[in-house]
Amino acid sequence: MLADPAVSQTSMCSYWLSPVCGVLESPSMDDHQDSSLVVGVGLCDSAPLLWRLQDLKTVRSLGLVGALLGSLPRTPRQNQRLGRPLLLLPEEEKLLRDEEAAGALPGQNQDVGGVELQRRFEEDQQRSFEEQSVLALEDRKSALLRAMTSSHTGESALRRRLEALDHSFTFPQSAMAVQLSTARAGLSYCPEARAHLQANWPIREQNSPRSDARCQVFRDLRGRGFFLTSAGKFGGDFLVYPGDPLRFHAHFIAVCLMLDESVCLLDVLAVARLGSNVKKTVLLCSP
Amino acid sequence: MCDQTPNWILQHPAYQQMKDLEVGDSEQLHAAFLVYMDLTEVRRWKEVSCVKSPELQVVLLKAKEKEGASVQTIFPLPVHRSLSHRSIRQVLDRGFPVLLCAVAADSTLVYQRMTDGLVTPDPPAGPFQDVGRRQHRKRRQQH
Repeated sequence: MLADPAVSQTSMCSYWLSPVCGVLESPSMDDHQDSSLVVGVGLCDSAPLLWRLQDLKTVRSLGLVGALLGSLPRTPRQNQRLGRPLLLLPEEEKLLRDEEAAGALPGQNQDVGGVELQRRFEEDQQRSFEEQSVLALEDRKSALLRAMTSSHTGESALRRRLEALDHSFTFPQSAMAVQLSTARAGLSYCPEARAHLQANWPIREQNSPRSDARCQVFRDLRGRGFFLTSAGKFGGDFLVYPGDPLRFHAHFIAVCLMLDESVCLLDVLAVARLGSNVKKTVLLCSP
Repeated sequence: MCDQTPNWILQHPAYQQMKDLEVGDSEQLHAAFLVYMDLTEVRRWKEVSCVKSPELQVVLLKAKEKEGASVQTIFPLPVHRSLSHRSIRQVLDRGFPVLLCAVAADSTLVYQRMTDGLVTPDPPAGPFQDVGRRQHRKRRQQH
């Protein structure tokens, strides 16, 4: 019995990569060769992480988005807004490595760093205390002056107190206001030597044909100016944005396959249906 | 339906035509016939004809949605089959818009448009209005 067939509204696109591997073509490429754009990648187990703010900015300017993992100190128990570190996709890390824009983060020299930081902290505290005592004294004096001018009785008593203030005023340490700097807490690094990643980078990836396909698709689409993020939520390989993800919704869900890889028709229909429900075109990509 | 001969499909001229293409895949042939019937009788597409794809060894249909429209290729396939990106590309390389049609065992048909290249999806339909803080607060209070 012929049931009423459903025609899916999403177009499914077949997308054939040009054989030449794409090179990053973003306009900010001019200073790309400048060695100051090397980012320090820290490895946590096998996950490539970026910790430094400058590195995150650099990487974003190259058109790579990554995923923030950390919690923010001021808004801890939520995951709508996350903070550093930034986790890179394997394809993003590979791209950085191939462009020689990634280096290993130097190990922290704990002892030297710690002593230096402590000394600096104590100096800052002392300076702050001295400034605050001066300000407190002035504050007290102006308060007394105001009291003198407003009430005419007891003026002489107040004047005597004012004169005694300079000698007898003490600013207790416990009254000092201490400012805690959350911006730089724990993530400031000393200037480091840049190590370009060569063979001594631990080999972690399994070079399966699927991951190779993903990598080539990533490079090609990135080379065309699209921004790509992981598409785990949508059952695909990448979400493809026409511009920065902060400004646009994704247009495509990219599914990377080898040309001759066999795929169930049911899976094709399932991903197409999902795509139409979320208003994204499913892109079948093969190198 | 009861007084029709049970082999009416086998005797249908369109079926005979498709069989003559000698694709060697009776299941796909049956699927192609069901799609043919749907296009001609239900959707009333025009100039529906069948053609053999030598690379894929399947029966493809060519049809126009209405008079004067452009020709489209329809690729019928039983739903439990699998296919490769290459085979889809080969159908696309014929140069016409492609509709893939999955045919289930109960004759349910699902069509899926396949396009070459990157096609931006339709934008979400408006009108849009800012939900406002009350909605967010409501959601938080539910925890």
